[in-house]
Amino acid sequence: MRDIVVEVQSITKRYGDFAAVRDLSLAIPRGAVYGLLGPNGAGKTTTIRMMMSIIYPDEGKVALFGGRGDGKDLSHRIGYLPEERGLYKKMKVIDLLIFLAEIKGVSRAKARAGAMEWLARLGLGDWALKKADDLSKGMQQKVQFIATVLHEPELLVLDEPFSGLDPVNTQVMKDTVVDLSRKGTTILFSTHIMEQAEKLCDSVCIIARGTKVVDGPLAEIKRQHGGSHLVVAAERSAALDGVLSDTRLISRADNYGNYAELELAAGAKAQQVLEALVRQGVVVSRFEIAEPTLHKIFIDLAGPQALPTSPEEVARA
Amino acid sequence: MHKLMVVIRREFIERVRTKWFLIGTILGPVFMGLVIVLPIVMAERGGGERNVVVLDATSDDFGTRLTAAMQQIPKLSVERRAVALASLEDQAVALAQEIGTTPLDGMLLITDNTVEDGKAEYRGSNVSSLTDMRTMQATLRSSVFAERLQREGVELSVVSRAQIPVDLATVQIRDGKVTGGSAESSFFLAYFIWFLLYLAILLYGVQVLGAVVEEKSTRIVEVLVSSLKPFQLLAGKVAGVGAVGLLQLGIWLGTGKLLLDRRADVARWLGQGPEAAAAVGQMSFPEVPLGTILLFLTYFLLGYFLYAAMFAAVAAMVNTEAEARQAQTPVVMLLVIPTVLMIGILNNPDGSMALTLSLVPFTSPIAMPVRWAASPVPLTEVAGSLGILFGTVVVITWIAGRIYRVGILAYGKKPGLKELVRWVKG
Repeated sequence: MRDIVVEVQSITKRYGDFAAVRDLSLAIPRGAVYGLLGPNGAGKTTTIRMMMSIIYPDEGKVALFGGRGDGKDLSHRIGYLPEERGLYKKMKVIDLLIFLAEIKGVSRAKARAGAMEWLARLGLGDWALKKADDLSKGMQQKVQFIATVLHEPELLVLDEPFSGLDPVNTQVMKDTVVDLSRKGTTILFSTHIMEQAEKLCDSVCIIARGTKVVDGPLAEIKRQHGGSHLVVAAERSAALDGVLSDTRLISRADNYGNYAELELAAGAKAQQVLEALVRQGVVVSRFEIAEPTLHKIFIDLAGPQALPTSPEEVARA
Repeated sequence: MHKLMVVIRREFIERVRTKWFLIGTILGPVFMGLVIVLPIVMAERGGGERNVVVLDATSDDFGTRLTAAMQQIPKLSVERRAVALASLEDQAVALAQEIGTTPLDGMLLITDNTVEDGKAEYRGSNVSSLTDMRTMQATLRSSVFAERLQREGVELSVVSRAQIPVDLATVQIRDGKVTGGSAESSFFLAYFIWFLLYLAILLYGVQVLGAVVEEKSTRIVEVLVSSLKPFQLLAGKVAGVGAVGLLQLGIWLGTGKLLLDRRADVARWLGQGPEAAAAVGQMSFPEVPLGTILLFLTYFLLGYFLYAAMFAAVAAMVNTEAEARQAQTPVVMLLVIPTVLMIGILNNPDGSMALTLSLVPFTSPIAMPVRWAASPVPLTEVAGSLGILFGTVVVITWIAGRIYRVGILAYGKKPGLKELVRWVKG
């Protein structure tokens, strides 16, 4: 049993009659790169804010680092980059970084040294004494990211970290996240862009309309939802066509003659299809259980019914 | 506690570093210097000769005697011109052309009615000069008075003895002790206290408003509240801005006192003559007892906390500075009430309006110190006023904290009253 860094136990958050998050549970193991996925307005930010104790759930609870402490008491162990991020425009970059580290309990001297190091690392060394207002948007985003990681948190919570970043900064951010993950930092990030999540995450939780659709290790989710897709290449034969038209085994076949993409019928197993092919004497050159992309799983599970229906829900999210 | 100190320090240092703090800190003493220097300059300008013509349409020699009396007034040169009653108005209109183009400053129109009914008229360019008008009126009054007595057959020596002026010296007594301040100087002090309190509470209250709106509109607040409790953030902000306020007030009061104590030197330094310097040195400035200063600072702090909390709650409800400027109006109005009623308090510091305003918590931070400076206030009333104010500060801060906690993370439409109640109940 791995050690759980964030454990969310059936939390519910209501705004008036509208439930932004309903009975949501998830667990993030130490060292994981965990993706919280969902369409816009699904409740990702609300969930993250509850993890951070910025708002409190109406029901259920959040346990961090296996303990009882509140997100604010443990804030020195957490780095949080909100979706809506800002800086004090009139402050010098270095003073701002020191202040944000100090309210996490880091000493002034340590904060100053760390900030200079990070600024140099992200190419902002010459900007330390400039006002935040004088920085370009991309530079400001880097400063915000430095503020998130300066106190060397065990847990990084990044809400839509890549939104609004240009390709260069996206790359820098991604490399830094991967690097921190290698050093053992647990990372939670939310996104609605599945391609990023697929490349970065080892576990995900997909939510739609405030409720969980699926969660777990990415490979497992793919296996579960990928079991029904088969690719078969074989010599063209009547026997092959016979097996493919057996509706007890196959619900839908995209048959090219000697190449077919299949979807298993309910209850059928890939193993049974292979067995039938062999028994009928079909010469099989390729038999593959195809992995669906995360994008496909997401659309299947959180698809049309998951889209926010009323403008109110969009506004609340 | 450490986090709170970090917030206070940031708020304090970032504010003290701005050029507005520097400008404000310098402008305060400059303004106070002007209060001290202006009378010197005025005294100098007032030193110029006034030229007045008495247009005498009387049928006896009252005009001659009045002119002689007026010539006794320092720095006033008077010339009498006898005119016929019928042409008085034409003469006056013709003479009016000379005012402004020649050294002539004005004319006094007298007729036989002046002694009979006490009617006279002065036309001139210096009618707004209170000193000029006061001395001229006093001279006119005593001349008319003497004339009437003489017409009734009173002996001249009796008349002149009857005219020996009475000088009422006013001395304020507080707690059974003579303070050395005159009625005039305590009025001056009350007025100054009112001005400073109003300015300081408004100025620093609005700074809290601006700070909250800034954090909300730049959205840095979400990063902050992931590390800080909203109340820590609010308390740190209010305390930090308040510390800046105390520092600035301290500098103002300190330099003000220094300027007052050395006002003769200031006058000399400004190149004014020794007489002007001496005159300024003798000007009646109030002595400020320690009790008044303590009371002033206590009410400033409590009043500032009260209004800062309300300003913070208002700021938490809105999204932008433009919205904040509109939303702050009701709070500012609360502060303006004692200002509008100030003259009422000063005229009757023991009256029921002054009593009410100095007990109601939203007006007492200004009204009570002003009352205190103007006249002695029973200590029970001060204690009651402070108690009510303190209790209100606690309640308002609690409510404001609840609104702030929800408001800083709520974007979009401004909440209605119903929603606000829900925030507070939270």
